[in-house]
Amino acid sequence: MNQVLSSLGFGIVTASILLPAAIGFTLQFSATNVLNIGFGSQMTLAAFIGYVCTSHGVGLWYALLLAGVFGGVTSLLLNRFLLTPFMRRGTTFFGMIVITIALSLVLEYTIEAIWGPQSVFYPLSTGGTVHLGSMSFTGEQLVIIGIGVALALATHALLRYTRTGKAMRAVAGNAPLARASGVPAQRIVDLAWMLSGFMGGAAGVMLGISLSSVSFTMGDTLLVEIIAAAVLGGVGQVYGAMLGSVVIGVLLEESAIVLSGAYAPISAFAVLIIVLLIRPTGLFAGTAKAKGVAA
Amino acid sequence: MSYYFTVMAMYILIGIIAAWGLNLQFGETGVLNFAYVLFIAAGAYTTAVLTLGHPSANGTQQYFWGAHLPFPIPWIVSMAVGAVLGVAVGLVSLRRLRGDYQAMVMLVVSLIATYLVSANVGFLNGETGLALIPQPFGNLHLSELNYRWFFVAVTAVVTLLVFEVMRRITGSPLGRVLRAVRENEAAAVALGTNVVKMRLLTMAVGGAVAALAGAIEVQFIGAWAPAGWTYPETFGLFAAVLVGGRGNLGGVALGAFLVQGLFLEGTVLLPSIGNPDLVGAVQWITMGVMIMLFMWFRPRGVLPERRRRFTTEARTRLPLLLVRAQRDARG
Repeated sequence: MNQVLSSLGFGIVTASILLPAAIGFTLQFSATNVLNIGFGSQMTLAAFIGYVCTSHGVGLWYALLLAGVFGGVTSLLLNRFLLTPFMRRGTTFFGMIVITIALSLVLEYTIEAIWGPQSVFYPLSTGGTVHLGSMSFTGEQLVIIGIGVALALATHALLRYTRTGKAMRAVAGNAPLARASGVPAQRIVDLAWMLSGFMGGAAGVMLGISLSSVSFTMGDTLLVEIIAAAVLGGVGQVYGAMLGSVVIGVLLEESAIVLSGAYAPISAFAVLIIVLLIRPTGLFAGTAKAKGVAA
Repeated sequence: MSYYFTVMAMYILIGIIAAWGLNLQFGETGVLNFAYVLFIAAGAYTTAVLTLGHPSANGTQQYFWGAHLPFPIPWIVSMAVGAVLGVAVGLVSLRRLRGDYQAMVMLVVSLIATYLVSANVGFLNGETGLALIPQPFGNLHLSELNYRWFFVAVTAVVTLLVFEVMRRITGSPLGRVLRAVRENEAAAVALGTNVVKMRLLTMAVGGAVAALAGAIEVQFIGAWAPAGWTYPETFGLFAAVLVGGRGNLGGVALGAFLVQGLFLEGTVLLPSIGNPDLVGAVQWITMGVMIMLFMWFRPRGVLPERRRRFTTEARTRLPLLLVRAQRDARG
């Protein structure tokens, strides 16, 4: 029982990292209909930018912010100068995923070319731990949980209570109709890419802090977990992604009790396969059905 | 130098075989199999355990089971394994999902498979991989160089066989149905094609061809490890198909020659600059850029598909052509 509880602690940390990542992934998909599988590599790149910041003496949490902003800006630029031109040219979704995977290759190996194949390390404080029953957290882990929850709440507030959020939901629901009703769809799509990049960048650094190191292939495993979380919740559904992140995050750590640690990512994969076999649309089926990605 | 030519020739031929298998799935039928390298690996591992003999005979290497079978049995079993795996992966990812969503799921399958094999040392010797895999024609007692050229000749014959199979599939009524599935799924369904069955068929055939390529490769180089089948390898082959011209067997072979042969292996001849990781990294970056450039400037490749009967211009005629394809398919 103690083991289950202490793993729950780790699970909450992992879930808090997956939260912004899965929200970013799914938010961008819902606004654009493009599955961006370069997302994992974009996160890794931002995590390395975070590393560069810390190694130049920037504080850890400022580095996280800077990496998030970097992620947002690169994501916006990639959309403007790479993906939108392809979309305008009539490249199908089929072709777009080939473009995003090519992008993933370019980013991942650019990281390797610059920083090499070895992991780089974040400077972490050696502060004490906080005990909550049989769960224990380091100070950094508590901040990570805080950031993850705050980003999820901020997304909720943005989508529910602001005009921009309303426009974003309108574009996600029916882009041509939104455009016809005077919503500046292109700007909303840009914003979705930027938010997605920001969330991904922040999550990349959060994972780096949690693992204390980042390597150029970090995004690959992470991408599996993000996709599992997003698909479980129903791809394109922001609240589904939140639910999916929590389930996958906790499951990843709890399964490490039963399976040996190295096999933990398999549990995320198992969830993905089960969802695809039983209910390919995910728990919240709305977007997947409306966009025709799964039936 | 002659030694090096045999290596180049082998990589080009293996690349061509693998690219044709991918072309059947991606070029003809429009299945984005982002886990393609997994099938090459399945063939390679199958052949490895079927030639290495019982694990206890190879004290330092761990693997779950082994036998010592003569050529060509391991290659044939590899193809069967590739086909079965193709159907298994297809059953999970192909049903009820949009094409790009299928691709995403297959990428996840590829990533997890590499992870699983690396983490589980007892299964296929983990990250270290299998080595000292016996040569298939060892009892011919040829000199080293002659042996290598003999191996190249055998592979060339296999390549021709694969070409003939591919030519027959793509030229047949079945090939027309596959292209119908690619060009307009809804119309194909409306005319009674079982689209999922057709996709599963290409997963099986393409998987078998990929496994054959893997089987040949593992016997030639004598070793196989997870580092050799990470997900970018799949996109090396996608680049070959895209550069050459999807749906055109000759074009795909040209693409495999250029990308797999000259670009990926030929760079070994260049004087080394910087660290060895840098060359590899720059190769993959160039590969990604190349895919994007071809998608932008020449999406149909250097040698485009001939007789494009199902292009968008022909959409008005499509139902008629589909009826004909269907009738032919039923014989």
